[in-house]
Amino acid sequence: MLLPTDRAARILYIEDDPDIRAIAELALEDVGGFTVRTCESGEAGLLEAPGFAPDLVLLDVMMPGMDGPETLQALRNDQGVRDVPVIFMTARLQESEVDHYLKLGALGVIPKPFDPMTLADTIRHILADS
Amino acid sequence: MPYTNAPDMPAKLARLRERFLVRLSEDLECLQKEADRLVSDDDGGALCSAYHRLHRLAGSAGTFGMPDVGRTARALEKVLKPVACIEDESRLDSGHKARLFEELSSGLQVLRSLAGHQTSSAHDPSLDKANVFDRTRLEGKQARLLIVDEDTDRASLLCRELSSYGFDSLEVSVDAMMTAIDCAENSGVVALLASPVKVPKVRTVRNSSSDPAILRLPIFAVGGHDSFDNRYELAENGARGFFPDPIQLPELVERIEKLSADQARGTRGRVILVEDDPDLAEHYRLVLHLAGIDVRIVNDPTRLLSDMAAFRPDLVLMDVQLDGYSGVHLARMIRFDAQWLSLPIIYLSSEDDPDIQLDALSKGADDFLMKPVSDDYLVRSVQIRCLRARLLSDLMNQDSLTGLLKHSLIKQTLEQEVARCRRDGHTSAVVMLDLDHFKTVNDTWGHMVGDTVIKSLANLLRNRLRETDLIGRYGGEEFLVVMPGCDLDDAERVMQDIAASFSALAFTAGQDRFHVTLSAGIAAIHALSTADESLNAADTALYRRKYNGRNGVTVFRSGPQNAPQEAH
Repeated sequence: MLLPTDRAARILYIEDDPDIRAIAELALEDVGGFTVRTCESGEAGLLEAPGFAPDLVLLDVMMPGMDGPETLQALRNDQGVRDVPVIFMTARLQESEVDHYLKLGALGVIPKPFDPMTLADTIRHILADS
Repeated sequence: MPYTNAPDMPAKLARLRERFLVRLSEDLECLQKEADRLVSDDDGGALCSAYHRLHRLAGSAGTFGMPDVGRTARALEKVLKPVACIEDESRLDSGHKARLFEELSSGLQVLRSLAGHQTSSAHDPSLDKANVFDRTRLEGKQARLLIVDEDTDRASLLCRELSSYGFDSLEVSVDAMMTAIDCAENSGVVALLASPVKVPKVRTVRNSSSDPAILRLPIFAVGGHDSFDNRYELAENGARGFFPDPIQLPELVERIEKLSADQARGTRGRVILVEDDPDLAEHYRLVLHLAGIDVRIVNDPTRLLSDMAAFRPDLVLMDVQLDGYSGVHLARMIRFDAQWLSLPIIYLSSEDDPDIQLDALSKGADDFLMKPVSDDYLVRSVQIRCLRARLLSDLMNQDSLTGLLKHSLIKQTLEQEVARCRRDGHTSAVVMLDLDHFKTVNDTWGHMVGDTVIKSLANLLRNRLRETDLIGRYGGEEFLVVMPGCDLDDAERVMQDIAASFSALAFTAGQDRFHVTLSAGIAAIHALSTADESLNAADTALYRRKYNGRNGVTVFRSGPQNAPQEAH
């Protein structure tokens, strides 16, 4: 899967932890060179997605309210953003869970905690492998 | 690829990290309240919210450079998982809740200690910078010490002082000790420091482990009053060393250094096995391999010398009766080569006549192992000889005071690095370091104190630099460091940190306390064509630093900015 080359790729990161949102912005914008928007919940992400038109969505699995898998389902039902690739971010990483998330239609799963210096590279690798 | 170079990244990360630390301490308070609620009447939902809090910490702390906090939180999260967020938590029986409370409390103690540790290092800007640098560039492994002391003030003071020597030390209670060991994967715990009263309990807890690495952890008694009875009692209780009040820090650091070097050495070893029975050879190889020893099997004696040159063994195990060759002659042949004169050669033989054995020994080998040899006996004989061989070669190559490389060897290392830079095109730096006004130290307090200062700098360098950096004692108070794959800016930053830490060390001589500073000159190895040129450049930079007031670092930069400045 390729990201646009004529402009910075847009990433929407849906995550309930404000500290993680802040450091992810650094990791993806300052280090990674992406354009980033963050949202604090699945509900907010769904409202934001159509206007922002992300090239990729990063989705935290465990959130209060709509969790990651539910948010993915809702994105898939939304005409405007149904094809946008999604990567899950999770602090629980067991093989069975990874398989489960991939079957739900995620492009990949990134384990938390992530290293802010290499997060962007990890994302690019996942995209290049798919 | 739109990779942005982010020069202000470390500062931004440090700010976010501070913010995270604030929230961490709030989280820890909440967790303690939730734990307390478990053993009170009002415990509805306490487990569930503690579980979610721990889950979030497990997933985030590592991102902020605190992997230990993350791992500890993860361990606690696992403890709570089976019981958290079930329909009616209050139906858990009180014994179960009390056990959960215990586990949660001792885990929280470790978390608080780790968090406090982070906060204290965050306040020291030089340490903080070093942390970011370490995490993003250097993969150097830091030795961690655990301190168990009923006097928390003394323990925190010791923590701070040890950290200025480059050790990562952590104050814990006896109950929290095992959790702290388990959660320290990346920076392995190398020693337990305990106040004399705590030594027996620390030993009991350590010995309850089934992990041989933990059972081997040495316990040092620190603080307390020095007397024969105290010493005897501590020895009886399994302490490996005793540093009574006032604690002589350089001595303590020296002991811990030696110990971790010996431990690292003990697990390695390289053996050439000359044996023509392939099944037996494979069996020996496997047995030794399981004990951490690398083995190369030579079944064709004509290839022996070339295999030795390539493998650089610590020891040769030689079957005496080989098909068509005699092991005795092969051993003598190995000794033709001057570089193998001190290499231990051990015969594997079924010959049990002592006269014949002696005859064989006089012809070039060092010892006999009788076949059949038990696995355990083989491993132990080989390990002890590998260790001695290494110690001997260290003695020949290392400066006896500091354990650093000797002058000739560090210079040779620099020459190799010049060649590697030319071949691979990478950047490397060389540093010339010199203690300021060292003669005054010797003249005022004597050579013993001067030696302590030199050893302390050697230990600090070893602790702060990466394992791949090479450190040598170049002259009396002069040190040379070769930093492969390191550019001038990184080398400068690291050396500035080291210079700052060194100047903060307080030395004692009788009633006096004093500080010593250092000057360093840095040059790029890859920019110059010979070892001598880069040495001269580093020396020039060092000279400029001395001229400009000492206590700091000067970099030799070739190019226009280095040309004589014109007067305006």
